[in-house]
Amino acid sequence: MMTKRLFDLPSSLRLSRPPTVAVVCLGLFLMCCLLVPRFASFGNLENVLRVAAILCIVACGQAIVIILGGIEFSFGASAALASVVTVMVLPATGPVAGLAVGGATVIGIGMVNGWLVGRMGLPPVIVTLGTLMMASGIAAWLVGGLPLDAPPSAAFSWPARGRVLGIPVPILAALLACGVLHVLLAYGRIGRLWYHVGANPLAARLAGIDVARVTLLGYAAAGAFCAVGAIILTSRVASGQPALAPNLPFETIAACAIGGLPLSGGRGHVLQVVSGVLTVAMLNNAVVLLNLPVAWQLVLLGLAVLVAVGLQKDWTVLKRLARRAAR
Amino acid sequence: MPLSDEALVATGIAKTYGATCALRDARLVLRQGRVHALLGENGAGKSTLVKILVGAVTPDAGHVELAGVPTTFGSVTQALRSGIVPIHQHLSLFPELSVHENLSAFALAGSGGFLARKRLVDPPRARAWLDEVGLNVDLTTPLAALSLGERQLVEVARALSLDCRVLVLDEPTATLNASEADRLFTVVRRLCATGTAALFISHRFDEIEALADDVTVLRDGRTVIDAAPIGRHSREELTHAMLGAGVEAPPERRCVRTDPVLVGRGFAARRDARSDISVTVHAGEVVGLAGLIGSGALALAAWLAGAQSGAGGLSVAGQAFASGDRKRAAALGIAYVPADRHVEGLFAPLSARRNVSVSALGTLARLGWLRRSEEAERIDPLIRRLKLHPSQPDAEAATFSGGNQQKLLIGRGLALPGLKAMVLLEPTRGVDLAARGIIHDAIREAAAAGVAVLVATSDLDELMVLAHRYLVMRDHLLAAELPGDAPRAALLSALSGSLAA
Amino acid sequence: MRHLTEGGARFLVAPASILAAVVLFGLATPGFLTFDNALSIAGQIWILALLAVGQMFAITVRGFDISVGAVAALSGTVGAMAANAFGLPALLLAVPVGLACGTVNGWLVGHARFQPIIATLGTLLAVKGLALLVTGDGQAVPIEAAETAGLAFDAVLGLPLLGWVALACIGGAHVVLRHLALGRRLLMLGSNPEALALLGGASWRIEMSAYQLCGAFAGLAGALMAARAGAGLPTEGAGMELQSIAAAVIGGTALAGARANAWAVLAGAAFVQVVLTGLNLSGVSPFFAQIAVGAVIIASGLMDTGLRFLLSRFSRTCQPKGTFR
Repeated sequence: MMTKRLFDLPSSLRLSRPPTVAVVCLGLFLMCCLLVPRFASFGNLENVLRVAAILCIVACGQAIVIILGGIEFSFGASAALASVVTVMVLPATGPVAGLAVGGATVIGIGMVNGWLVGRMGLPPVIVTLGTLMMASGIAAWLVGGLPLDAPPSAAFSWPARGRVLGIPVPILAALLACGVLHVLLAYGRIGRLWYHVGANPLAARLAGIDVARVTLLGYAAAGAFCAVGAIILTSRVASGQPALAPNLPFETIAACAIGGLPLSGGRGHVLQVVSGVLTVAMLNNAVVLLNLPVAWQLVLLGLAVLVAVGLQKDWTVLKRLARRAAR
Repeated sequence: MPLSDEALVATGIAKTYGATCALRDARLVLRQGRVHALLGENGAGKSTLVKILVGAVTPDAGHVELAGVPTTFGSVTQALRSGIVPIHQHLSLFPELSVHENLSAFALAGSGGFLARKRLVDPPRARAWLDEVGLNVDLTTPLAALSLGERQLVEVARALSLDCRVLVLDEPTATLNASEADRLFTVVRRLCATGTAALFISHRFDEIEALADDVTVLRDGRTVIDAAPIGRHSREELTHAMLGAGVEAPPERRCVRTDPVLVGRGFAARRDARSDISVTVHAGEVVGLAGLIGSGALALAAWLAGAQSGAGGLSVAGQAFASGDRKRAAALGIAYVPADRHVEGLFAPLSARRNVSVSALGTLARLGWLRRSEEAERIDPLIRRLKLHPSQPDAEAATFSGGNQQKLLIGRGLALPGLKAMVLLEPTRGVDLAARGIIHDAIREAAAAGVAVLVATSDLDELMVLAHRYLVMRDHLLAAELPGDAPRAALLSALSGSLAA
Repeated sequence: MRHLTEGGARFLVAPASILAAVVLFGLATPGFLTFDNALSIAGQIWILALLAVGQMFAITVRGFDISVGAVAALSGTVGAMAANAFGLPALLLAVPVGLACGTVNGWLVGHARFQPIIATLGTLLAVKGLALLVTGDGQAVPIEAAETAGLAFDAVLGLPLLGWVALACIGGAHVVLRHLALGRRLLMLGSNPEALALLGGASWRIEMSAYQLCGAFAGLAGALMAARAGAGLPTEGAGMELQSIAAAVIGGTALAGARANAWAVLAGAAFVQVVLTGLNLSGVSPFFAQIAVGAVIIASGLMDTGLRFLLSRFSRTCQPKGTFR
């Protein structure tokens, strides 16, 4: 059993434990390249990354909340509210300040969530579902349920369509967001405290950590990531949309779950988030390229979540199958 | 010896979990009508053996015979049907349901059946069981309205509903006060008088001597003393058998009393109590706070560390802090080791190093940024000093054994910047003896370095080797203060209240 | 209900809230306190009530089911298609469809040990997609049978026929929870899952049956939705999962498990409907009602936390329950 084999696989490829999601993601990428027509073109890959960018930025925020042991459903609605608020204040403030006000709205909603979860001790599901309803209600109320177009301006469309050194701004922003999240989690004191609170909130309190404050800051930081995503989204649609991104929370949770972040909290790495996001983006792209109905995106996403989480839980099933196949 | 009186015989039991071998060659013989004590330090395989007996774990090797018939249990249900009834340390009752439903839980839990009413036991029978354990409550009372001790008696009463051949009591007294434990023992004896065999697991020699007829000792997964009558071996011999080595004589306890450090005044351990407790712990002193479970000792200690709110004034080294303000207490240099390691202490998914360094993050960070090299430099020597095994600071805390997890919590306390006082609740509960020695040494060293230490525990042996001074809590009152050289008997009588009478 | 301190108090919150809301809207809006309006509310609550009662089973075993809205949409759509193919009674095919979805959820949570949110999130996404796929592109499926509208709107003894069906099913849920062995097992599982396993209860089957009940009720709600609209609506039901959780929690279902009452949950659903109708009649923007529902959800969470805090102060002993989830 324990004999050393001549060709020892690297530990991440050995079947003794699930391969890291990065490996799965790479496998999926190669599979898409081979099987999906037009997938491997430069233009399409840039498109995949561009779609993945917004998801990635918001998923970084979702990852913070999940590490804290919570879950955040209000992202889509708060992004919608941000777009409505931005477009409404635009005539008075100009594009830059307008987008900033929109972003601040999202952070504000995050802080309300964090306060209710951390200070009042409410379950995150209840709180964020509640703020989801309220935020989307307010967004629809402000514009009477209809989208509100923004006056075209270069500065306003820069976050979605601009390029720096030839690279689209959303992709740069996503890279930046991943970098910031990594630094926060690995080197920031607050990031470390998120892990502690997520792993065991009671022990964190008894170790002298201000759990309520750490939770509040976590949800606010998550809101800040979502705010960046909301700004890019608003700029892309160039209007205030009360139903901007209803599936955003589901997609971000799915990305984190596929990446292997346990909902029980206390664990998580930025690479897991990135690979989860890329998996989701590639699946969505493949559905479009294969000319399948768009609804397949939802079905595949749901199945991907279940399969990914299931495999992380019980890898032995596949191991057994692989062994049988090898025989 | 007649064969017929052997209720349960387990021989050659072995069980391996991954790399660790929990049981190698265990043997256990229970006789009808006798209470059998099972002893062994943590990690000796006691809990694994119990799990095998009650059907929760399947052994890798070995035979189990129930009344002479070879048996293998595939599940807890099968073991229960065969008459092996476990009474668990962590109550297996349903607080939201009524006493009647709890008593009928076996029938309700099993599959089948349509109407719930048909599955409830007849009220007269249920009441008879309650009478038998001496509990006088209405059948419709929700269980949540009973005290912990009463709930355990309900659990014993529920065992009466089965044709109970072997009663397995896994540390049943851990949450009981003295009178409740007495009631439990009376019931167990009465059951044994009708031919039931009982397996009794406890760490307390007093209880074992009071209740058990025979004793089996496990060490390293092997039976080293096999079903000896209780009088045959002295406590020292039993301890020797458990450890495989002589117990060291308690070290010299010397203390130079200096300035008062941790001061608490006017604590009321119960909301309605007129008690007014004041405690002072001096620098360099280890105060032992003794009290049985339910005496309020743990509550007092938690209050002193700022972990629990309550009336009264608190200060450390002259600086006052509010009760229940754990954050400020930690900032002022009070370390706290909670009683329940898993629920209140450990960050299971985080690395050992991070479990320790959490208390020192304030000094490890500059402007909110951690320097991880400095973290390793400062924390790893401390982890080495506590002889963490395996010595892997980057391994997840969840992968360590109980004793090593407890070392992490002690290390967390020692790593607190500006440490002035330590409050430890049950610091070695469920910890193996090697780790216990290391933890005790660390506590002594801290005191020698001038830290004021308060140890609250229900483990008298622990107090006897640690404390310079004893405080004894009884019924939510400070019952006695005794010097460090007070004999065990004095402590016992103060705890049980025979002095006050 | 003999012991008001422990169980009863939380089940009285919903009726009391209804009373307060009725008084408030009655004073503020002249048209509110009329018999017609009461009947209109009574005719509208059933879909939410069924979803909430289903949700109650999931919450009783310490879970959630956030897929109920999508399951209702899918099963309503399939039911409508079946009604067109085989006649109106086939609309009830929605129930087995919901049951199937619930079985998947239950298997994932109970047997594969998924966290309820992740499992039901996965099925939410997949079922939402399926609902769109079975209709081609998300088009509504009109039910051809003419008597559908009669089922949903014609009052029999004050209530539409489907209202009576729903009421009977909620009564059935009450019987399951209070009087059947299965209900007692659900409560035991919510109260102390480890103990149930130790006593030899098949925990995962019980947990699965909770989600199956939840799915079946969602399927029934889907059938009602289709009958009301006269069409299967594959995109309907978004947001219903949130309202159902809110109604269940306001109805006294403890998020920590093991405390639930079907009639109180019905009252919780009625409260949500009273607020929605009241706001509607007050002439505020219809979108304002959505904001109100959000506020009600958070208030329900506050109520749960507050009640737990109060009850723990009054009961003699307070044993911490379970570990942190």
